[in-house]
Amino acid sequence: MSAQSDVRRTPYILLSPAIIATLVVVFYPMLQAGITSLYRSILWKPKDVAFIGLDNYFAILHDPVFWDSLGRTAIWIGLTVPLQLALGFVTALLLNRNFWWRPLARSLILIPWALPSVVIGLMWSWIYHPQVGVLNDLLMRCGMLQSAMPWLANPDTALYAIIAALVWQGFPFFAIMILAGLQTIPGNLYEAASIDGATTWQKFLGITLPGLKGVLVTAVMLRIIWVANSMDVIYVMTGGGPGYATHTLPLYAFKRTYSSMDFGYGSALAVTFSLVLLVLITIYLRRVGKDMK
Amino acid sequence: MSFVSLRNVYKSYGAVDVIHGVNLEIEAGEFIVFVGPSGCGKSTLMRMVAGLEEITKGEIHIGGRVVNDLPPRDRDIAMVFQDYALYPNKTVFQNMAFGLQLRKTPAEEMRRRVAEAAETLQITHLLERLPKALSGGQRQRVAMGRAIVREPKVFLFDEPLSNLDALLRNQVRAEIKKLHKRTKGTIIYVTHDQVEAMTLADRIVVLRAGHIIQVGTPDEIYHHPLHRFVAEFTGSPPMNLIDAKVEAVEDGVAVVAEGVAPVRLPPHLAIDAQPYIGREVMFGIRPENLHLADCNTAPRWPTLSLRVDLVEPMGAENLIHFTFGKGDLIGRFGTSVRPTEGTNLNVAFDPAHFHLFDKKSEQSIGTVLPTPQTHDAARTACADPAA
Repeated sequence: MSAQSDVRRTPYILLSPAIIATLVVVFYPMLQAGITSLYRSILWKPKDVAFIGLDNYFAILHDPVFWDSLGRTAIWIGLTVPLQLALGFVTALLLNRNFWWRPLARSLILIPWALPSVVIGLMWSWIYHPQVGVLNDLLMRCGMLQSAMPWLANPDTALYAIIAALVWQGFPFFAIMILAGLQTIPGNLYEAASIDGATTWQKFLGITLPGLKGVLVTAVMLRIIWVANSMDVIYVMTGGGPGYATHTLPLYAFKRTYSSMDFGYGSALAVTFSLVLLVLITIYLRRVGKDMK
Repeated sequence: MSFVSLRNVYKSYGAVDVIHGVNLEIEAGEFIVFVGPSGCGKSTLMRMVAGLEEITKGEIHIGGRVVNDLPPRDRDIAMVFQDYALYPNKTVFQNMAFGLQLRKTPAEEMRRRVAEAAETLQITHLLERLPKALSGGQRQRVAMGRAIVREPKVFLFDEPLSNLDALLRNQVRAEIKKLHKRTKGTIIYVTHDQVEAMTLADRIVVLRAGHIIQVGTPDEIYHHPLHRFVAEFTGSPPMNLIDAKVEAVEDGVAVVAEGVAPVRLPPHLAIDAQPYIGREVMFGIRPENLHLADCNTAPRWPTLSLRVDLVEPMGAENLIHFTFGKGDLIGRFGTSVRPTEGTNLNVAFDPAHFHLFDKKSEQSIGTVLPTPQTHDAARTACADPAA
């Protein structure tokens, strides 16, 4: 064997562990979900398993819970990500100033991000609790509420209450990413702008925002994907209830699969949502990230 | 009333003083260069004029106005930064127009002024590009363009050439000088490079450790250094400085370095050196004031036979290192003078260019120049071309 063909094969040999691992743990389950979605496969009806083509997908189109969940997922993403971004941005700007306890503040800000979702879910369930919750207590003391509000049991408020909890959990991610981005913007750009006559707001629009564009595009994309898929906080806080009031699509897919044991339909829901997300991200990157290289 | 004036300006960071009471008067249209080693406070001083650093004490006036408490945008200045500080997301045109835009200049005038500046700097073909698509030299021009379009009262240049390679630096240096001749703007220019200072400045301000050591025209700075530091900082190679003792000899006063025959001082220096008889001083002479002793050198010039240590051919000239007592002496000679190392050469010293410095205060002895700290005197010296 010539030395040259050795050289040519070495990269593949070196890459193969990573590729094989990815194939086994990512691509194989994806493929399996795709195949399962083409079957009628309910776990407690083992004799009834049959290939039904795209019937599960046609059923989804006529499933009112799917459409409701899709709408709720849109609200879920559409509120959580912008609110996290706004809160994270303000936090990053504050942390980028000089004050003596900045190192401490930086560590403190990471706490919500470092806590497990289950802890967050339980913590916020207590905060919202109608009898012992601190939120009701505060609002009643201030006179903003006459009687305790069952935030998580009320279908009109449950989703928004969970969104508030998730905003609190996720904003440190934006804060830290944006802070890192802020620190890469050379200080003399601000000095040049001061001399050119820019106000603080004009410097923000002319230097800070463009300087953060790369960070923002990436961070928002990652957050959209994570927030869209995150159902652990919902699961802990309401389990999707009351009724379907806090069902998002991933939670619906999860419950159809593991509570109803309907693996075929659950897989079809998961595949559908993945495609919706894929389209969303593609449009986002085309529009927002078009002049980024 | 001068155009820019610094009056008793101090700067401290906490307990650390970095500028110690600087006084300076700058006339309209003057090209002033702040020069000094790193850490001497030259950039800080300029940033104080710009409004990027607060003034701890004292006053800065621009165009007759005290600007201490004015933000940079109200001082009517423009600055060229060392690393250019071009806005990365704006095109060259937008970079140059930004300041005008913020000042609500009409679009038509803005376009005209940018086009004119671009024409002057030969960057018209780059106007639509982003800074990342430009070379170092081109970015430098854009940074200058951004300053020019504003037509400010004062231009500030913060080591603008230090990021360019040697060849480009010479070229841009000449362009800056031409630009100043054409625009007649008032320029404050910071550099650590004495060659830039000498070639560009109308007046040079030499700084060390937050003090002004000397203010003067390049000629004054070079030929009449008031301080040992200025003598050592200018010229390449710098002035030779030798530890010596002043002694009375039969027909006058001479300096005696250890292991070398006495060198007689010319009459004008002899008078000033009288009080120093018997004391240690620094004797200074620039390399070009050493000559080969022959029929062209005056017979009254002190002449010594010195041992040649090293010859450095520079192309247009030869630098010759001699042993001088315990120390070293460098002479600048024509290419025809190329002695063998180890041999002796008869060297004549031009007494018109002798310098003596007090060993303790490091001040020059006998150089008749006004002290730099008084503005009026400095100005008189400037106006007098013979000085």
